[in-house]
Amino acid sequence: MAIHNAAVLHGMVVMNVVRVENLHKEYQLGQQQVQALRNISLTVRAGEFLAIAGPSGSGKSTLLNIIGCIDTPSSGRLWIDDEDVSGRSPDQLADLRARSIGFIFQTFNLLPVLSAAENVEYPLRHFKELDKAARRARVTHYLEVVGLASFAHHRPNQLSGGQRQRVAIARALATQPRMVLADEPTANLDHKTGEGILALMKEINRGAGTTFIFSTHDPKVIALADRVVEISDGELLV
Amino acid sequence: MLKFALRNLFRHKSRTALSLAAVVFGVVRVILSGGFIEDVFFQLRENTIHSRLGHLQIYSAGYYEFGRREPFGHMIEQPAQQMAALEKQPHVAAVMQRLQFSGLLNNGRRGEAPVLAEGVEPDKEARLGSAVTLIAGRGLRNDDEFGVLIGEGVARALRLKPGDNTTLLVTTPEGAFNTLDFEVVGVFRTMSQEYDARAVRVSLPAAQDLLGIDTVHSLVVLLDDTDYTDAVLAALKTRLPSGFEVKPWYELAEFYQNAVALYRRQFAVLQIIVVVLVLLSVANSVNMVVHERTGEYGTLRALGDRRGDVFRLIVIENALLGLAGGVTGVVLGSGLALAISSVGIAMPPPPGMNGGYLAEIRVVPAVLAAAFALGVVATVLAALRPAWRATRAPISEALQQNI
Repeated sequence: MAIHNAAVLHGMVVMNVVRVENLHKEYQLGQQQVQALRNISLTVRAGEFLAIAGPSGSGKSTLLNIIGCIDTPSSGRLWIDDEDVSGRSPDQLADLRARSIGFIFQTFNLLPVLSAAENVEYPLRHFKELDKAARRARVTHYLEVVGLASFAHHRPNQLSGGQRQRVAIARALATQPRMVLADEPTANLDHKTGEGILALMKEINRGAGTTFIFSTHDPKVIALADRVVEISDGELLV
Repeated sequence: MLKFALRNLFRHKSRTALSLAAVVFGVVRVILSGGFIEDVFFQLRENTIHSRLGHLQIYSAGYYEFGRREPFGHMIEQPAQQMAALEKQPHVAAVMQRLQFSGLLNNGRRGEAPVLAEGVEPDKEARLGSAVTLIAGRGLRNDDEFGVLIGEGVARALRLKPGDNTTLLVTTPEGAFNTLDFEVVGVFRTMSQEYDARAVRVSLPAAQDLLGIDTVHSLVVLLDDTDYTDAVLAALKTRLPSGFEVKPWYELAEFYQNAVALYRRQFAVLQIIVVVLVLLSVANSVNMVVHERTGEYGTLRALGDRRGDVFRLIVIENALLGLAGGVTGVVLGSGLALAISSVGIAMPPPPGMNGGYLAEIRVVPAVLAAAFALGVVATVLAALRPAWRATRAPISEALQQNI
């Protein structure tokens, strides 16, 4: 086991940020029973830069949602930081998401009434241990990381698509989560901007060791991943 | 949280305006319909008081109960003495003496009709009788020694008009017959057809002369405001010497009591319909707005907000909306009510009454408070169900609404 991939949490060496075992997901679509995921088992180590690749409808978003605890599997188990989170209550999962998981969405999902800085600060409201100054410092820091320090007071509708996604990245990083999940982060951006976003994510991954898991069907994006897991018809291709 | 909620409201201007409009119109509707209903009661009450009853009536003890059987058995002796004491009471605008008797009115052409006559103090009665309409001639005056004012029905039955001479035949308390000639000075109309068909009024001295007495049946008290009725009633009850009884207008107005009981029930049904309509339209727009923002709530929850956080946000936003709508509605509703009242709504004569009237829309604090409360409560209530649904929806599904 490669020690350089390990992270330290609560004084223990934690190897796996995410582990799923025998994951199944079925749902009803009209009259049809859809098998979104079949028997998925996967382990993601701390510091990985992982792409889940597959055509649309392959189940990659469903897998990412389950890892992010915003969807529940029909069967199978999920560990985050080696802790079994299957069967946790919605509030416990909310707290887990607040502290351990950062999200980057295909449609950016910034809160339109808040400025860039306020968007980055929003998830920090669950961090009662941080005082106002500490929050401000984090917001400033991560806006700098994504290169938008001078846009702190802009509202989302005053920013370009690429800038919005950068704000979203800063928001995902602000809580210093164990992993950042990005569902098709470049799908709504032109190629050049998309590559820029990916490059930024990779730079952060290299620099700060943040684990990134993103889904994509774009071969150029896949090419940038350290590790690629392919999924098709709800099954992982080995 | 409050700032965030406020900003959300201000950002979605068209949605907020839509919900706000639903609340405002609801509040206005309640104020206008409630104010109109209050006016119906107000008009009925003031008409009842100002056509004949006055606010309070004072009798010699026993008259109210036995007066019908022994018309002259319970008289007020030396009325002037009592009047002087009464006129000193606060809020008393006038005190007037009345003497009632029945008789036969003859038109001098072989026509006669039984009448209920009243000996009154004409100038004071003119102040009381704002709901009495003169339809011919003029009112009775203090110096009309032998003038008679007759009800519309009496004039029609005996074909009398101002200037005609009549004879009033009565039986005196001693049992003798007596007559006196009067000249018709005017024809009046009150809100009661039944009364107008039999009533005539002469001056008190003429009536006392005709009956050969110097006492009266009742002292009628006019107040400067109907709202003080109970206060003055209580004061009089303690201050009047024994041997007197005092009755407020509402105990004397059986018709008023029955009408109010019926109207209250009828209007309550209408008000319930209005309230339900308001609830439905507010619920509809709140529901729509929450539904449209499902994706945003999904984002908040993905970022770690608990269900309760999002639920609270939705409720706070709608409470603010309800408050704003309530305040706007109260201002707008009061303004509209005043504007409509300044023009007035022409009403046909109520059943059993003679004249139509101009209805107003009263601005009553209780109605305003109820309308405001309805606006706030309806909006918050309307938000509960969609808020519950928004916070129970699977986050992954909610997020798909963003696409």
